Amino acid sequence: MAGFAAPTGVAPPPGAHHRTPGLLAWIILSPLVLWLLLFVVAPTLMLTAVSFAERDALGRIVWNFSLQNYFRAFDWVWLKILFQSLYYAFLTTVICMAVGYPAAYCIGRAPERWRGILLMLVMVPFWTSFLIRTYAWITILSKEGIVNSQMISAGIFTEPISLLYSPFAIVLGLVYNFLPFMILPIYTSVEKLDNAMIEAAYDLGAGPLRAFSQVIIPLTRPGIAAGAMLVFVPSIAMFAITTLMGGGTNPMIGEVIFKQFTSGRNQPFGAALGTILLLVFILTLWLARSQRVKEE
Amino acid sequence: MKKTTLLLSALAAFALPATTHAAPNKNLNIYCWSEYIPQAVIDRFAKETGTKVTVENYASNEEMLSKLAAGGGAYDIIQPSEYVMEALVKEKFLHPIDRAKIPNLKNIAPQFLNLAFDPGNKFSVPFMAGTVGIVVNTDLIKTEIRGFNDVFKPENKGNIVVLDDAREIVAWALLANGMGVNQITDKNLNKIKPTLEKWLPLVKVYDSDSPKTALLNGDVAVGVVWGGEGAILLNKNKKFRWIIPAEGSHMFIDSLAIPKAAKNVESAEEFMNFILRPEISKEISEEFPYLNPNLAARALMTKKELENPASFPTDEEMKKMQIFRDIGTQASEIEEIVTTLKAQ
Amino acid sequence: MAFLYIPIALLVVFSFNSARLNIRWEGFSTKWYEALLSNHVLLGAFQNSLIVASATTVLSTLLGTLGAWMLYRYRFPFQGALGLLIFIPMVMPEVLMGVSLLVLFVQLLNIPLGFTTMIIAHTTFCFPFVLVAVQARLQGLDPSQEEAAMDLGATPFQAFRKVVLPYLMPAIISGALMSFTLSLDEYIVSVFTTGSQSQTLPLKVYGMAKVGLNPQLNALSAIFIAATFTFALAVHFFGKKKNL
Repeated sequence: MAGFAAPTGVAPPPGAHHRTPGLLAWIILSPLVLWLLLFVVAPTLMLTAVSFAERDALGRIVWNFSLQNYFRAFDWVWLKILFQSLYYAFLTTVICMAVGYPAAYCIGRAPERWRGILLMLVMVPFWTSFLIRTYAWITILSKEGIVNSQMISAGIFTEPISLLYSPFAIVLGLVYNFLPFMILPIYTSVEKLDNAMIEAAYDLGAGPLRAFSQVIIPLTRPGIAAGAMLVFVPSIAMFAITTLMGGGTNPMIGEVIFKQFTSGRNQPFGAALGTILLLVFILTLWLARSQRVKEE
Repeated sequence: MKKTTLLLSALAAFALPATTHAAPNKNLNIYCWSEYIPQAVIDRFAKETGTKVTVENYASNEEMLSKLAAGGGAYDIIQPSEYVMEALVKEKFLHPIDRAKIPNLKNIAPQFLNLAFDPGNKFSVPFMAGTVGIVVNTDLIKTEIRGFNDVFKPENKGNIVVLDDAREIVAWALLANGMGVNQITDKNLNKIKPTLEKWLPLVKVYDSDSPKTALLNGDVAVGVVWGGEGAILLNKNKKFRWIIPAEGSHMFIDSLAIPKAAKNVESAEEFMNFILRPEISKEISEEFPYLNPNLAARALMTKKELENPASFPTDEEMKKMQIFRDIGTQASEIEEIVTTLKAQ
Repeated sequence: MAFLYIPIALLVVFSFNSARLNIRWEGFSTKWYEALLSNHVLLGAFQNSLIVASATTVLSTLLGTLGAWMLYRYRFPFQGALGLLIFIPMVMPEVLMGVSLLVLFVQLLNIPLGFTTMIIAHTTFCFPFVLVAVQARLQGLDPSQEEAAMDLGATPFQAFRKVVLPYLMPAIISGALMSFTLSLDEYIVSVFTTGSQSQTLPLKVYGMAKVGLNPQLNALSAIFIAATFTFALAVHFFGKKKNL
């Protein structure tokens, strides 16, 4: 226990809560560090190693050092696909935020005993197979589906229009599947909002809009940031949903890597594309972080 | 909040470990395509021979290949398609089969035996085959469609579904240019590039798993799809018509084989022989309408099943069929060509 | 909220459809429910899915929560690097992760493929979700509360349990729910890390699209969702009585 409470000697700077870790802290952290080393760092290093190798006809790796995969990877096609994937991920994040925030806010402000149930309600639809969910959307959006038939009988469309197999369908599929990952973290921030703070804002003469934009939003910022991370990052490499809903005419980076790795039987090239994706991603994250540190 | 925790732990509780059956002394570990061997067939084999059967599924040849190449899992039976079979034979990944233990091999039509991917059937027995062809929704397309060049016409833009498979797409372009599906050289790829550049922008949907969905929903009017998909569509609605492209087409053959690392070779051979029994093979065909290479099984099938043109091509059409050879490292370039054209 | 349930409604409706293909309504039938009850393969796979998802949830929640707390509470060397590493499993394309873990398990660590390898693989991509959620909640923690508890004589462990843990609970539960969901529906990583004894539902379902998704799956989903609701409501009302 002594290690856990290791005094820092100097008073921590105001607002900060960081101390030098003692032995016990290290022990508690060690599973995470070990896990990261063994199951994240080791596979990533293996992948990087493979990206410099060659392969035989069966797709097995031949350990000859070669930069050829990287030469091949620096082509505008792959860059274009990467940017397209980032664009869709960004769009998905923004829409999830716009749709998810109000939902999360309502759940967070609901009577306490209902919150658990509401949270479950958000997640339970996703305890089904994504294939069933996606094919259900396909049935709904198809030319002979519910949306088209309703629109026609309401006189809005004169003939069925193609809603599926379009950028709209791709974004809809992504938003649908990632929405809970926006709602949950925002909820955890909303849940701890102090009513007194909001009331104080009102007492000081703020209208609902100002109270929202100047008090509530800043207070829930960590939740918004976390939600944005949890939606944006995994949707970059996501492709099964985008292929099914979009018809596969817009290849995504995850799909390209998957195909090179499997039907292309070129694991080294797939690994090189993957390594580039990881590098781009880590660099962006690192820059964003150092920027933030500078601001503070 | 405790409620949710409670709920999760309750879910964990009803997920008790699977019950194991009394251990029979024979085991068989099958690694096969999902939805290809009916469960009833596997259950019957287990019961009849007293074998404990475990089944693992994959959804693409390459998944199976990656796992096999990495040395994961000891499988007794695998179910590769012809071009992967060829690679596995070439790379000495397979255990030779004992023909004496598989007398039912005589039920197989000769045209499915002794093919280039496994001369003399030293390592494999055919399971099912299938063709790739064109499905037309005749309500929506009135002009006659005979081959690939009729499908990929500007007036069909945004009305076409094709398999999401680079090797297939390249094969069709080769055929349309009068070349064989396996004549994949850099020179020929350059020759067919203009064809692909013309074709791909017309495509609305790429789907290998269920191209029938877009056709059934009326989102597209014509498609180049697997025969099995075509057979389902034809059974579903008379407006669909099946056409084997005039230029010729690809026929796939999925076989059963035994990997070298297999632990239960005898059970595996017993299973192969069992699958080739007429009544068993017929049962498989009933559930999954592919081209059944088993003549004795065909004799047991109904007229309606045999007359489905998407399942069973005519002899004339069979002559136009080509099978894929292994193209080794070129697979990666083909993927790149198709991806590049899609992204434009 | 209604948006989330649009496809689910359709799914439930189609579980009573007599047609094999989930595309058009062709008449009411309960035959898929009957077929499901005798389909030991699907039910077994579902059971396996629940085992893997539950174990993954427990492990990820532990790793994620303790990790977030430690990283928040103390300044470790290489803290920034650790923070970045956590995101790798989230952005790494599934096929790369699946294959590299497969090689790691089979060739380097010599662990036979099965539940263990699958749970490890799932936990690897699930725990970052818990960690990020908990980190967000921690950013608003008032350190004085924990210190006050310690000033009152609580050991650091007690302070964590009585003050910090209850405060983090909503984030921990959110993270746990996300882990469970992600694990339940994972296909690509699963296919490379599973053994024949640990076939989960997505592995059985994935290839089904080519013959038409089996409506038994709709029935299974419908039953699962209904059971979860019933259970949640039961706990809800039962819990309320206890609170009185």
